[in-house]
This record gives sequence, structure tokens and C-alpha cells, in this order.
Amino acid sequence: MTRLKGRLGLASILVLAAMLPAAAQEGVDQARKNIESYSGIPEFVPPGEPFDAKACMAGKKIFTIPASSSIPFIKTISDHKGELAAELGFEHMEWENQGNPTQWIQGIEHAANNGFNLVSLLAGADPRFFEPQVAQAQAAGVKVVTSHLTGLEQDAPAGVDAATAIDYRKAGELMADWTIAQTDGKVNALVVVSNEALSTDSIVSGLTEAFETRCPDCKFEIVNVPITDWATRIQPTVAGALQANADLNYVIPIYDSMSTFVTPAIAIAGRAEQVKVATFNGTPFVLDLIRQGDVEMDIGENLDWIAHAMLDAEMRLLCDLEPIRDSKVPLRVFSADNVAEVGEPADAAKGYGDAYVEGFRKLWMVAE
Amino acid sequence: MNLSSLGNHVERFGLVLVWLAVIAIFGAMRPDTFLTWSNFSSIFGSEAVLVIVTLGLVIPLTAGDFDLSIAQTLTFCSMLTGLLSARVGIPIEAIIPIALLAGAAVGVVNGAITLYFRVHSLIVTLGVGTFLHGITLWMSDSQTISGVERALMNYVIIYRIFGIPVSFYYAILLAALVWYVLSYTAFGQQLLFTGRGREVGRLSGVAVGRVRMAAFVASGVMGAIAGILYTGTTGSANPNSGTTLLLPAFAAAFLGATCIKPGRFNAWGSVVAVYFLVTGINGLSVLGFRTYVHDLFYGGALVVAVMVSQLVSGRKERTL
Repeated sequence: MTRLKGRLGLASILVLAAMLPAAAQEGVDQARKNIESYSGIPEFVPPGEPFDAKACMAGKKIFTIPASSSIPFIKTISDHKGELAAELGFEHMEWENQGNPTQWIQGIEHAANNGFNLVSLLAGADPRFFEPQVAQAQAAGVKVVTSHLTGLEQDAPAGVDAATAIDYRKAGELMADWTIAQTDGKVNALVVVSNEALSTDSIVSGLTEAFETRCPDCKFEIVNVPITDWATRIQPTVAGALQANADLNYVIPIYDSMSTFVTPAIAIAGRAEQVKVATFNGTPFVLDLIRQGDVEMDIGENLDWIAHAMLDAEMRLLCDLEPIRDSKVPLRVFSADNVAEVGEPADAAKGYGDAYVEGFRKLWMVAE
Repeated sequence: MNLSSLGNHVERFGLVLVWLAVIAIFGAMRPDTFLTWSNFSSIFGSEAVLVIVTLGLVIPLTAGDFDLSIAQTLTFCSMLTGLLSARVGIPIEAIIPIALLAGAAVGVVNGAITLYFRVHSLIVTLGVGTFLHGITLWMSDSQTISGVERALMNYVIIYRIFGIPVSFYYAILLAALVWYVLSYTAFGQQLLFTGRGREVGRLSGVAVGRVRMAAFVASGVMGAIAGILYTGTTGSANPNSGTTLLLPAFAAAFLGATCIKPGRFNAWGSVVAVYFLVTGINGLSVLGFRTYVHDLFYGGALVVAVMVSQLVSGRKERTL
């Protein structure tokens, strides 16, 4: 009996040992498949039903407060929203600011006092910093929404009327998938995050889950560097990690503007051949760094597409249609293979096709 | 050696001893990774820009003036370098003198307003720095500019001597220059007189205005050098990032004034202070401490060092 038990035990170990590499390979294959499906020109998926945008927006006014007008990523979206509003014949105003919450408060008060129907807190203007003013604006009949702030699974913060979300979780998954696919499941990564940004939770949960499900043996360490400390802390933090961990093969700065401080740390340590950088946002200068070979992969979003999608969701809210949570703004994986499509120097709106331009106009019933 | 002489030595080299102690502690905790040449190469090679900004601050501080615009001069000259190289296509050897001239011009503006309108340098340089930041944002359209000529990176962080990027040696050469000028030239002595008491300096025949103007120009040029090296370090020019170097540089300048020549802003003290702080941050990173611990170390080290220095000098005064 004892011998039988021993044989059964040995057999189970052998079966498990045979299954483990297969499971690991399955995870790597799945990661490769995900990357492939996000590497091509994305398709346009309508976020909702068509509606007559010009007719229902006549006489209405939208007020956009960007997180900071000095951040090109956000400023571009805001400017494009203004151009689209002009095309559709309604008033849109951007509250120019330098990222200071007191300026956001001045903005929301200005909107409430000047007959705007909706305030859009764009890409990082976080309503948790001025909840009483949000409530006051709502009491005055102004709808307040967050645009491009939360992930799909995150609730609307601070009692705002709606939150139009981006699939940040997927961005996190894709960063993990890229490293799993490139290393055949032998990832040893340093993940640099900034916890104060609302989107970080969503990105990190996607990344963590991808590693846990597709590559349980992969190693990764998460370090937090507050946004205000990027210029002074990222480089020594990465340098320290490179020293402490001789097997490190990836640095994943979850926002690509961090890359500018990550790449010098790798170069100074003389580890550029072994340690690669995978990141998210598609900011033009980082796409240029892919061309130069300093960054390996960047997951991008089309800023003009975001402008269309955010304005679409905001108009729907003002037209009493179903609020849009999932903006359906697609992500695309850029690497040395396809970076040529974004132009030289890189253009934030190139490399995503133009199906969305016609698609949104059809939705708004303004297509010729 | 009597007790007073020993006390002087402890005060002069106290920070160096603490630095060595920090190295010994981190080395004992992680000998395999901390006590490696590659780690020290990383420590020395990564903070040359901060050393140069600190040296740039030391010159006007010696003359009793503040230059709060130095970080913005750095950012402006970094952006100028990035734009002229990546967008206009001017070779880097032609860009360097342009950037240095731009830095000197900022110094002239700071000096002219401070001296002729008799406004405190703190306010003038704060205003000029903010104005410069506006220009930097305007000319870059708030964009990070990449695509800078690779040669600049080669001559900043890629080429190495004894495994340490050459930018470290530039910083040390500049420290030697500042040390020599402050210690062994008439200008250095005039700078010191001006800082210790402008009226006394003037009555002693020092052209106080000219000396202060020269200090602002030197600070502007140092800011420009730091800007060029910053672009070479990151391979790009960012319209915001250099601004965060101001407080660490001031911290290092004040910490540096507690050693080598205690009570005076001095070049080698500043170099020791920067690398003491960087060693601490690096050690904490190697040990895996979270970043808020870095702030605790940075702030704590500064306050404790100044307190200890004050204690030692206070005791010395009582002895006298």
C-alpha cells in the first residue's frame, strides 16, 4: 500500500512537472497573441447610438478644465475638443491653467457663474481636490464630468455626474504581456508608478493580474515615485534597482514621460543591452526614443480620437442620452516594427488610421 | 595636536567622515551590490548636473546674493540646446557657445536689475526665473524635445574614464576652478569681502557692484553648462524637469558650507555634500526603501549637519 502511494505521488509529480512548462508556454503564447492583436491599426467601435449632435447641442455650452495646459498630451486633446465644438456649432471654452488645483476651482466657479451647461475635468483634473465646488456647480444646474481620468472598472469620483473612462487596465496588461512575450516568460522587472494619479490603480491591477495569470514565475517589483519628484528621484531609484538586481531585464515606467529619467540611469549603469524599457501613453518624444533604440515599446492612444470620444460622451449627457462609461478609445502597441507609421518627428495623432473621423461624424449625423 | 586643533579638523572633515560612515553602513548591509565599482560609477556619474548647479549657486551666495533663476537658466539652456540640435540641425559644437552666451545674458539681466534698481536678488532672480520658464514653455510648445545629436550624449554619459561617465570629471574640473578662483585670486577675495559686508568692502576699495555682477554672470554660465549636460544626460530637453533641482542644490550648498571651510560656501564642501546626499539616496534605493525614506534622509541629513556644525562652532566661540 505504501509503495502504491509512493508510486502515485511520483506519478503526480511527473505529470505536474510535464504540465508546468506547458502552462508557462500557454501564458507566453497568450501574451504574444494579445500584443499582436493590439499592434495593428485599430478599428472604430461606436461608443453608442447615433444622435443629431448639431440639433441637440444648439445653444448649449461646454467648459473644459484640463489637468494642465502646459502638458502637451492634455492641451492637444483640449484644443481638438474646441475645434470639434466649432465644427458642430456650439460654444466650448478651455480654462487655461498650470496644473494648480486653485486654478481648477476658479475654473469651475467661472463655469457655474457664466451659464455653462457642463464642466469637463480633463485627463487628471481630479474632483477629489475640490468636492464642495463640484457640489455647488451641480446645485447651480451644471453637469460635472471627468474625462480620461478613471479606468473602466473605477467609479466616478467625488460625486461627479459621469466618468468617461479609458481602458487603463488593458494598458497595464499589455505592458506585462510585452515583457512576457519578449523574454519567453523570464521577466525580472522594475515597475515605476505614481500612486497619486487615479489611473495608476487601474494600470497596476491590469499589469499585476497579467503577470499572475500568464507568468506566475515572472518577477517584478513596484516602486512609487510621486509626480513632483520624477526629475530628481526616478534616476537614482532605477540606478539603485539596477545595482541591487543584476538579473533585471525590464524597467516599466507606467507613464512614458518618466522614460526620460529612466534611460540615463540604464545608460550610466552600462546595461542598455540587457535592460529594456516598456511603457504607456504614446507621447511623441517617447515614440522618437523607440526610433533611437532607447525605449523598446510604448502603448499609445490617439489624442484626436480621445478628443472625439470625450466630446461625444459629454454631448450625450447634455442631450439626455445614456451616459458613456467606456469611451472605446483604442490602444496600439508601438515598437521598432511599426514606429515609422507615426512620422518623424512623431505626431501624436498619426499611426491609428482615420476611420474614427468618419465614424464619429456618422454618429453625430453630420457626415455628408 | 591639541584639543582645539582636533576640534577644527573634526568640523572641517566631519561631513566627509559621516559620508564614509554611510558608505561603511550600506556596504556592510549589501556588500555584494553597494560596494561595487559599477555602483560608485553610477553614484558619481549621475549627479554631475546637480554638482554644477550647486557650484553655480555658491558664487553669488559668497557675494551675499541668491540666484533662484539658476534652475530655470538650466532648463532654458537645455531646451535651447535641444531645439537647436533636434529641430534646427545646428551641430553641437556651435550650440555650446550659443547656450553659454544665453546663460551669461541671464546673469547680466539678474545683475542689472538687482544693482541698478536696488531690488533684493531673491525677488529679482525669482521673477527672472519664472519669466524664463514662460519663455521655455513657449519656445518648446510645452513639448519634450528628443532627437538631440548623439555626440552630446557620447561626451556626457557614454564615454567613460575609469568606468565613470565623463560628466563627473567636468563637474570636478569646474569645482577645482571655483575653488581656485575663490581661494587664490583677487576676485575671490573681493567676492568674500562683498558677501561679508558690502559697506566694508566698498570702503576697502572693492568695486562691489562689478563683483556682484560678475557673480551673477558666472552663475548664469554655470546654469548654462548644467543645462547642456542635462540635455546630454537625458538625450532630450524637458521644459519642466530642471526646475526641481533648485532645492536639492540649495540644500547641498548650505550643507557644503558646514565642511572643508566651515562657515563659508565653498566648492569642495559642495561637492562632498552632493555626493554624501546621493550616496545616501543610492544606498536606500539599493536596500529597497520606499521613496519617502529618501526625503526623510535628505531633510534629516541637512538639518542634523547644520545643527552639529552650529554646536561645534558655538562651543568654539565659548572657548574663545
